[in-house]
Amino acid sequence: MKRLLIGLLFCGAAALIGQTGRDAYRRAYDVWQQAQTNLERDAGTGGAPQVAQADRSASAAASFEATRVAYLKSSAREAAQRRQILQSPAARSSPDLMPPAVADLAKTELQTVTRAIAKFATDKDRGIQQLRQSMERERVALTALSDTIQARQKRVAATSEAAAALEQARAKTAAAFADQSAQFSQTVAQMEMEGTAWADYYDKLAEAIQTANAPAPPPANIPTDITTNVSPGAPRNASASAIPLVRYVGDWTYPSVNGIFHGVQPESVELEVHEKDGHVDGTLEARFKLSPGVKDPVVQFKFAGDVAAALTQKFSFTTSDGTRGVLELIPGPAFNLLEVNFQADPRTNKMRAGNFILVKK
Amino acid sequence: MKRASSVFICAALFFSGAVRAQDPSPQDSALDLAALEQTAQKRHAEWEALAKDMNDRVARMLPCDPRALSAVTEVSRASEARLAALGDYLRAASAQAFAETAAARNLLSAEEKRAVESSLERADASQEQTAVDTQSDALAQSVKQRTSLEVPQKLLAQISAKIHRRATAAGQQAGAADAAVALLRDLVAKFEARDAALREEFAASEAERTRWNGYYATRRTRAQIECTITQIGAASSNNPAKGPQGKQ
Repeated sequence: MKRLLIGLLFCGAAALIGQTGRDAYRRAYDVWQQAQTNLERDAGTGGAPQVAQADRSASAAASFEATRVAYLKSSAREAAQRRQILQSPAARSSPDLMPPAVADLAKTELQTVTRAIAKFATDKDRGIQQLRQSMERERVALTALSDTIQARQKRVAATSEAAAALEQARAKTAAAFADQSAQFSQTVAQMEMEGTAWADYYDKLAEAIQTANAPAPPPANIPTDITTNVSPGAPRNASASAIPLVRYVGDWTYPSVNGIFHGVQPESVELEVHEKDGHVDGTLEARFKLSPGVKDPVVQFKFAGDVAAALTQKFSFTTSDGTRGVLELIPGPAFNLLEVNFQADPRTNKMRAGNFILVKK
Repeated sequence: MKRASSVFICAALFFSGAVRAQDPSPQDSALDLAALEQTAQKRHAEWEALAKDMNDRVARMLPCDPRALSAVTEVSRASEARLAALGDYLRAASAQAFAETAAARNLLSAEEKRAVESSLERADASQEQTAVDTQSDALAQSVKQRTSLEVPQKLLAQISAKIHRRATAAGQQAGAADAAVALLRDLVAKFEARDAALREEFAASEAERTRWNGYYATRRTRAQIECTITQIGAASSNNPAKGPQGKQ
């Protein structure tokens, strides 16, 4: 029951995450805090209303924890995606494209032309003078070229230096974020454990309040002409709740895929709930998968009774073969979901309990 | 002039960056870059093979031998091809670097927000700690009236301890997040420094390109002057059977 509720709330919470992020879990936290206001203070003297408040608080706490954990996980996934860029070495230019041979070649040309100029320095021939002037221009060009080659060599060295510093910083930063991610995963695991702990706490709190204060359940009044009967709600469900009847009334079915259940897995479930003047009646027909100790996986019963002012509508039933039991109808986190929980007296080869979520037809 | 050339270089790099931004795959970018580097190395080798003995080859030809001028022109073209390939490679490297730096800046921005959220989570944990302490105090009073509440009281104490541990961890994580953001900020600065270095290397290669072209232009001019002042080889070049006599 508890796991089922948490699972369901987690699904609902996960749907909220994409839309609202952190705000969603903060709102869920506020809802939880409001739901549990003065619960511990009143637990010493309270009764059924505090039991119901504990139930509501448990739901709100589960919703909060599920919403927050889902948000944090989603946030962690996005962060991991973003941080991928820290895993690859950064781009750099190749120093191989600036071989020393380039500078050597320019230097050799410069030396050659400089020697030639010196050879013709004293020659008065007009043509030679013209050639020497041309070589002078060549020497100027080669000198300027040598300067730019040197300048580029410096730039290449600077780029290599910058790339090396970048690479070092990248590795350091990547390691820091990896540590952070590991710590974060631990925190998420802690939060999940807290969620379970809160569910246990509220369960035990309600139990503790009920233990001391629960009045004896009224005797069952079983009509002889029908196969079921109804008893008023048990103390844990006796508090007022403003849940609209539409959350219970109607035709409900167990989904053929991805059904949510706890205990024995249902194959099919059909539930009809009718209401008139505050009186509820209905039928439940279910078939479960075979499990050890159960030869008859079919459960059928009718139930009826007055609407209780509580979140959980609780009815007693007796099947046609005389098996007694209790049926609980609990509105799910969405309007079209209804949790059903029934427990019957143990009978050989018969289903004893069922807990599942139905979808409105 | 210098500013104008910087603007040109930035525009060229930015354009390349925009083109690169359309390519979503870093692996493809790396492959492209490797291919461009190979081409640049090949062009360099081709030029070096021609350039290193250009003067020796030309020296063995008559001044007006057309092969002399074409030898210089051939080396000049190889030089231009080499420097163009180098320019392509550096442009691509800069574009990839530009994209990396942009991604690093985005990461910094996201991690700064995340660090703020870490601080908020620390505050949330403290708030939860206070709330559970209040619950514990109230339940301790109620236990006096109803002893069955001792069991949930113990559970609440365990929860309180869990939240306390988480609040402590949240504090450490907030500190770690701030430290990681500081590292990331430094990393972005290093990305930017690398980009600036690449831009300057690109500018230097373009300057060198201009100088090499200038040098080969003067070298061609010299070859033409050698022919003009001697007119030796003009006839023999028309009659290859005589063969080159070489320069003195």
